[in-house]
Amino acid sequence: MSKGFKYVGNTFPCSDAARKVTGDLLYGTDMKLPHLLHAKLLLSSIPHGIVKRIDTSRAEKVPGVIKIFSHLNAPDKMFNSFRIIPGQELCIEDEPLFSRRVKYVGDRVAAVAATSLAAAREAAALIDVEYEELPALLTTEEALSNKEVKIQPGGNLAHEYEVDVGEVPFKAEECITVESETQTQRTHHGALEPHVCLAYYDCSGKLTVWTPTQGVFGVRTVLAEFFGLSYSKVRVIKIPMGGSFGGKQEFLFEPLTAFMAMETKRPVKLLLDREECIIHTRVRPAVKTKIKTVVTKSGKLQEFTADSTLDAGAFSGSAPDYTSSLALKVTKLYRIPHYKHTGRAVYTNTVKSGGARGWAAPEIITATEVHMDQVARKLKMDPVEFRLQNLVHPYDLDLVLNLSVGDARVIECLERGAEAFHWKERYNQGMGRGRYRRGIGAACGAHKNGMYGGFVDCTSMVMKMNEDGSFNLNASLHDVGCGTVTAMGIIAAEVLDVDPNLITVTEADTELTGYDPGCYGSRVIYNVGACAKETAEKLKEKILECAAFILHKPKEYLIIENGSVFVKGTEYLSLTYKEIAEKTLQENYTDLSAAHTYYSPSNPGSYSVQFAEVEVDTETGLTRVTDFLAVGDVGRAINRGMVEGQFQGAVQMGIGYALCEEVKIDEQGKPVNNSFKKYHLVNAPDMPDVQVLLIEHEGDDGPFGAKSVGEISAVPTAAAVINAVNHALGTSLSDMPLTPEKLLAAVKNR
Amino acid sequence: MQIEFKVNGKSCSLDICPTMRLIDLLRDELGLTGTKEGCGEGECGACTVIIDGEAVNSCLVLAPQVRGKEIITVEGLAGDGELDSLQQKFIEHSAVECGFCTPGMLMSAKALLMKNPHPSEEEIRQALAGNLCRCSGYSKIIEAVKDVASLS
Repeated sequence: MSKGFKYVGNTFPCSDAARKVTGDLLYGTDMKLPHLLHAKLLLSSIPHGIVKRIDTSRAEKVPGVIKIFSHLNAPDKMFNSFRIIPGQELCIEDEPLFSRRVKYVGDRVAAVAATSLAAAREAAALIDVEYEELPALLTTEEALSNKEVKIQPGGNLAHEYEVDVGEVPFKAEECITVESETQTQRTHHGALEPHVCLAYYDCSGKLTVWTPTQGVFGVRTVLAEFFGLSYSKVRVIKIPMGGSFGGKQEFLFEPLTAFMAMETKRPVKLLLDREECIIHTRVRPAVKTKIKTVVTKSGKLQEFTADSTLDAGAFSGSAPDYTSSLALKVTKLYRIPHYKHTGRAVYTNTVKSGGARGWAAPEIITATEVHMDQVARKLKMDPVEFRLQNLVHPYDLDLVLNLSVGDARVIECLERGAEAFHWKERYNQGMGRGRYRRGIGAACGAHKNGMYGGFVDCTSMVMKMNEDGSFNLNASLHDVGCGTVTAMGIIAAEVLDVDPNLITVTEADTELTGYDPGCYGSRVIYNVGACAKETAEKLKEKILECAAFILHKPKEYLIIENGSVFVKGTEYLSLTYKEIAEKTLQENYTDLSAAHTYYSPSNPGSYSVQFAEVEVDTETGLTRVTDFLAVGDVGRAINRGMVEGQFQGAVQMGIGYALCEEVKIDEQGKPVNNSFKKYHLVNAPDMPDVQVLLIEHEGDDGPFGAKSVGEISAVPTAAAVINAVNHALGTSLSDMPLTPEKLLAAVKNR
Repeated sequence: MQIEFKVNGKSCSLDICPTMRLIDLLRDELGLTGTKEGCGEGECGACTVIIDGEAVNSCLVLAPQVRGKEIITVEGLAGDGELDSLQQKFIEHSAVECGFCTPGMLMSAKALLMKNPHPSEEEIRQALAGNLCRCSGYSKIIEAVKDVASLS
């Protein structure tokens, strides 16, 4: 138990764990509705071209086929899958339900709705499509240099930005300049649950959509605007989600599924297979970043200049926002007198890029942290010592955002982590001269806590006490699988001093729960959690007021303990919550509930420092991560076991990012890694036992001091692994992933 | 074609299409949707069930192949309303996050423990090699299995 807390900081299983271990919990993949139709997509087999003809005659003869959809019978209206609120900036509407001009291998050409999934699949395979091929631009370099071929009407440059803050300092001592170039690759989110969505448009004109989304109100916005429906006639229900990692954060299939339901007047379920998830949905964007730093010989950063190019894929989606976010991370992590970052998003004829865990931080922090090791090497300094001279201190000002970094404890993370990992001894040990080389690496990362300072970040809840002294917290949660529903219960339980099992917390439903922009920007524990705390506190005050009335004592004389209200100093004068709830109804003719809207007041940094040890086989090029420590500045762990799990899972993702995961596109524009056979996720034998060290200080505005964890945990992992490989081999590799082929070539060239 | 087999202790006799996969038989015909499909090609392990004591990817098995065999799915782990110790330990160790890999993980771990009640950590990791998890990094899952192995 954490000091001073009864529930916060302990470990609780996620509230639906029993249903998950018994197979009782129904996911979208398992859901059925009466007269349900099943939909199957037909995707483009070419990277760029015009659909000249679609012949559905053979497909229509398949028994069970109800309707086949394509651009021929669908509106030519466009939407943006990232639009959370109406009028949102940087949301270009360029995505149709079906493409007439296909823009990547995997673009949507047609869909079949049938009475069974087997019939829909059979029919989709029988649709004949004739294309007129157009030249395909598969890399950002080609897309920028080719002025003839325009992937989108405005050209191939999707977005540009420039950030230039601070001033070039007067250099009192001699400086060195270091330049690097890092390529981070496209990756698949790899949630085990494939994308799925169900929709029904009833005869009253109401559209209901069941979807494992990260933002029901955004889905509603997109659907209502696209179909011209009243917002009140679109009901979006968040259903259990088998992982997202950002892959389900955009509103990818709700418009299409709703359209098919409206057209067929039957409920429709669209379920993707793994190949479709990889080649059609969204990928973490590939980003190339050049960094130039000027550093004093004693190791103080003076100037940091970066230039990034992000491959947006064929549609804009969230790419403009994501690209701009590349410039919002480094100044949260380092004190830099002069920071300049230019960048752009570029359309290519490849799979659409989209939101992914860390929202640009893994991309830019990997480039930064690989660069920092190169600087340290040039300075002949220990990379940990070099970083310690330059990391932000608590309550520094982030120059780019003009916001405080809050109680930033990244230095403490690095110091305590280096000690626990025995950094100094291990770093100075030889890397070995034989076939197997060992090395260690460290990397730091920063991420945010919500949207404050740039976007709507409020949330509304209602909490009520039932007649038996149990509670319902009506909240718009979007649990992606990491237990945010459970965390809200723990927070409210701590305030009300009751067993968290007595509190039932809801997930989001646009018709029944209060507004919340969604599970984005690491805002849930920091802001939604703070709302849960304040709502419970509001209800607690009401409980005390009612108890005061019943007991004929001033409220100030009362205290709450263990699900009861006591009169201070007189233990015999007490009321249980059950007695208060009953009497309030019977005698006061009122219920006990509290409604609250919370507005986030700040956006501090969350930090993580991670340490990796690797062993590289110089004959096969295979790298094994043999030891790993993740340190997290999380403010306060609400549910300790789940917080540790966030780091351990993030490390699995980060090791894959560093070493093996990539959605590669071949010269014909076809994705090479279109299945789990060809797209390798790190499995149990290849994972080290990840140690987690939590730094808890409670200096910011989150509930009981809690800060975000889900994204920051995934920010520095890849860089720690790459730095360890470079330490093992004496290289400066930065072209990800570090596959055996690349490592063998590097060993050979040394 | 008609086939007879046992699922979770109960005898079944069904008329099925010979090309049907076991996973579809379980999910669509018998309503046992605890068995999940994550890839459909035997790479992710979410559809793992136990057939005559062996952990098998049910997406790679044709339904006629289970004729005369005994299948255990995740729904068959708990007996008389009481959770199996593996299920209990998965819950206690926070080894359950999004839950989509959980049924398959449990079945692979169960098959291991049925054959080898006291596996080493290395043996546990090898037994779970075909079960992918994107949430947990496997640490807590392995702790949970180790805990069960130390019980008996």
